[in-house]
Amino acid sequence: MADELDRLRREIHSVLHKPGVRPDDSVRITRRMFVHRSLLFGAATVSQAFAWWPLINTIDVAHAAEAPFKFAWISDTHLYPRSLNQRFVDKTVRAAQDVKKMDPPAEFLIFGGDLAQLGKIEELELGNELLKEVTIPKYFIPGEHDWYLDMGKKWTELFGKNSWTFDLKGVRFIGLDTVSRGPDYWTAKKMTPEERMGHMSALDGTVAGPWAGVGREQLDWMAKTLADWDKNKPVIIFSHNPLYEYYPPWNFWVRDWRDVHEVLKPYTKVTNIHGHVHQVLYNEIGTMRSIGMLATSWPWPYAPEGLPKLTKPMIRVDPGDHFDGVGWGKWSVGADDKIENEYMMWGRKQVFVQSPEDHDKSIPEVIRPRIVDNMYPFANP
Amino acid sequence: MATDSTFLCLRRCLLAGAVMAALAGPSSANKDPVTPQQLKAYQDAFMAEVKKGDLLFHGDAATAKSMGVTLSTTGWACAMCHPMGSDTHPHAFPKFQASMAKFATLRDMINWCIEKPNQGEKIDPESAAMKALEAYIYWSNTGSVLVPGKY
Repeated sequence: MADELDRLRREIHSVLHKPGVRPDDSVRITRRMFVHRSLLFGAATVSQAFAWWPLINTIDVAHAAEAPFKFAWISDTHLYPRSLNQRFVDKTVRAAQDVKKMDPPAEFLIFGGDLAQLGKIEELELGNELLKEVTIPKYFIPGEHDWYLDMGKKWTELFGKNSWTFDLKGVRFIGLDTVSRGPDYWTAKKMTPEERMGHMSALDGTVAGPWAGVGREQLDWMAKTLADWDKNKPVIIFSHNPLYEYYPPWNFWVRDWRDVHEVLKPYTKVTNIHGHVHQVLYNEIGTMRSIGMLATSWPWPYAPEGLPKLTKPMIRVDPGDHFDGVGWGKWSVGADDKIENEYMMWGRKQVFVQSPEDHDKSIPEVIRPRIVDNMYPFANP
Repeated sequence: MATDSTFLCLRRCLLAGAVMAALAGPSSANKDPVTPQQLKAYQDAFMAEVKKGDLLFHGDAATAKSMGVTLSTTGWACAMCHPMGSDTHPHAFPKFQASMAKFATLRDMINWCIEKPNQGEKIDPESAAMKALEAYIYWSNTGSVLVPGKY
């Protein structure tokens, strides 16, 4: 298994990390970019060195937006009914209020999925109600927690189409649905909707399998959507899951990410902004950059393997403070070839690790998948 | 003189007997080589606890109820911050735990998580639920190297 994984990773590396292939070659070189480029020469060793990471909260990714503008990202609120969990509600409200206070105001808010925890009508309606606080245009993409109780019925009723596109000031934005095409793991086992959702809601579960994917039909739609777009103009793609392989056991990927890359390969300035991982994350695959966003609900630990070497990890958080390690994202698109992402982590001046001890992986660990997935259906021992 | 040597001999015999008894253990101890059946029984006993712990760790309400514990009142479960038992670091305990500002065991840490993030009810450190949680967390981290005291 490990040998096979190594083989696949070597193959991935040889295909996607060819010399000279990087996103956005024509961007202006700033100090930050200089630091970033210098990193690439030593990428194999930086994750051990804890010394050469770039300042990736400000990165140069896009190319010549027609006028500067801002937008905001909120995701992974994982709302339970208010009567059960007020903390998640409080954090969603705080994010919405922060977005509302942005000055100059954001052009739009993107909600990146997992509004609800168990996909219940009252959870989705609660989320919709809380986000009404934000009156700028809002765009929504679903997360798996929003979908698998009623297979997206309520979500679609509230938020419309899962895939969408629009242009704003020289940037083409695309919203992708990476959650609704999971393989059917429920019919043969005669699961109730609640059981189906229960398996889907366990990040470390194995029953729901590799559910994250874009799907052929949506890939074709994306190719058609981009067909008339200048290949040197910026494209920003929103998705719930990262569009590359980080850690499949937690669906920190989409299973057809190679096909996604094939569609995007001709475009030189592609930025993927995604949720699901609840952590600071940065990667480059071919000509696409990917940036992982914070949740408002809780932070996930970094996966036991596969963390991109270009990621400067977020700081180890205090689990006693439920506002620590979580937040939202403020994005600025400049006319000077830059997109800036600011992680709005509440109560923290320093978002990134400053020493090996600040990293949640500073204690080496070996972990394994849960055992009770072999005992379907869940039963008391 | 004869009395002294008899006493000395008796004392040596008693001492040797005591050492042998200590090495052999009580008369009911297993003196035979372990059998595959025994190994399976021992492993089954362990895995039964691991499975209970897995269910508790993932917020299974029926298991919590059957074991008489309230590990959370918010819907939050241990696995939501610790998928696959990650970031629990059982192999780093005991240690000074900054969040508690004290020298702590894994059981102390489990109870802290139940009370603070989960807003549940602290459990008896000797309870079946605690042992099951401990079994699952250690099993999840099988192969991790002991680093007691590591921050």
